[in-house]
Amino acid sequence: MLGEFEYLILSAATRLREDAYGAAIRQEIEDATRHRCSIGALYTTLDRLEAKGFIKTRMGDPTPQRGGRPKRMVRVTAMGIRAASDFYAAVTRVSRGVSWETNRVAVR
Amino acid sequence: MGDEPSRGPMMTRVCWRLVEILSLMLHPDERDVVRGDLVESGAAGSQALRDVLGLVIRRQAAPWTHWRAWLILAILVVPLGMLLSVTSRSTADGSAVYVWMYANNWKWVDLGHAGFWHVLAETVLLVFKGYMTLVCWSWTSGFVLGSVSRRMIQTNSVLFCLMLWFGALVGAPRYFDYYLQYVHQTFGFPSLPDPNAPVFALVFYRDMFPLIVQAVLVVGPALWGMRQGAGMARLRPLLRRILWIAAIATLAAMLIQNRELWVFLNLYRRPGIWDGWQIWLLQVVVYWPVGYLVAGAIRRRWHRRMASI
Repeated sequence: MLGEFEYLILSAATRLREDAYGAAIRQEIEDATRHRCSIGALYTTLDRLEAKGFIKTRMGDPTPQRGGRPKRMVRVTAMGIRAASDFYAAVTRVSRGVSWETNRVAVR
Repeated sequence: MGDEPSRGPMMTRVCWRLVEILSLMLHPDERDVVRGDLVESGAAGSQALRDVLGLVIRRQAAPWTHWRAWLILAILVVPLGMLLSVTSRSTADGSAVYVWMYANNWKWVDLGHAGFWHVLAETVLLVFKGYMTLVCWSWTSGFVLGSVSRRMIQTNSVLFCLMLWFGALVGAPRYFDYYLQYVHQTFGFPSLPDPNAPVFALVFYRDMFPLIVQAVLVVGPALWGMRQGAGMARLRPLLRRILWIAAIATLAAMLIQNRELWVFLNLYRRPGIWDGWQIWLLQVVVYWPVGYLVAGAIRRRWHRRMASI
């Protein structure tokens, strides 16, 4: 079972597709959660996800806007997509009928 | 650091300088990526510092979730740090007497006596041998630590230095006090005045000289050895095995030659233990780091020459 932060990273990386790398994933998570995402939490979680086989990372090309430094590019594997889907399904199931879920549906 | 602000308020510059220093503790690939992320996101100096500090702490803390790190701390860092502190103190006190003898009692007229030069040569040789042995023990201890804990080399360097510092200030003086009390009680030695009392009445020889000896002959070589040990995985298996045997023999020699310990264990009564050829061989093996470093330097020079041809 994924952790919530792991799920956020997998979702952000999947959404970003070819443009998924450290800084972009971080921005995506901060925009979605409206909370700060620390570099430490991001990179240690990326390592953990890679060790579990949920993502694959590689060093990208250096770019001028990064001071000529490379990116750590992230690609979500089939196993990662399955794990994220399972997590989402579990969250959806467990949230069924709870107040914030029904309120959200009512608001919608 | 590349495009990070090199001008601006003093605090910002200090923060970025700290970011630069702290990020040296990261793996080179990760260091580049993180610095790139910080530049791209336009992070402020203090924010960048918090981010890098957080990552460094997480990276350094990660190995401590495994038992291996604690085992290395318990069976290597603490005992080696303590043993080297005691040995360093013993070497420093021994050589302090000679240094005091020449530095504080210097007479130009002595230079004219042949006996002076003879004694000086003997003293220099004796002190040099003691210092070289201490350097090799320290280097080997660092080498062993570096080779068993590559991922924790920075943390272990700090812990090892803290242990040495604690040993120098508290551990070693108490150990020798206890040893003297034990010897007097066990053997009923008369309480004669210490012939070296004038030397250790001086603050420099009593408090500062042992710390200088420890910093130069223990801390420096041990940290150097750690860096060399961390690269041992790149060596061939046979060479690795040979180095391990030499390192274990050196650590054994360090333990055996700590005679105060054997007095406590009541083994001092068997002088044959220290006079055998095995001990002589161990004393030679102790200097293996010199051979290893010289061989490494020759190999690198040879490779450079071959590359330039």
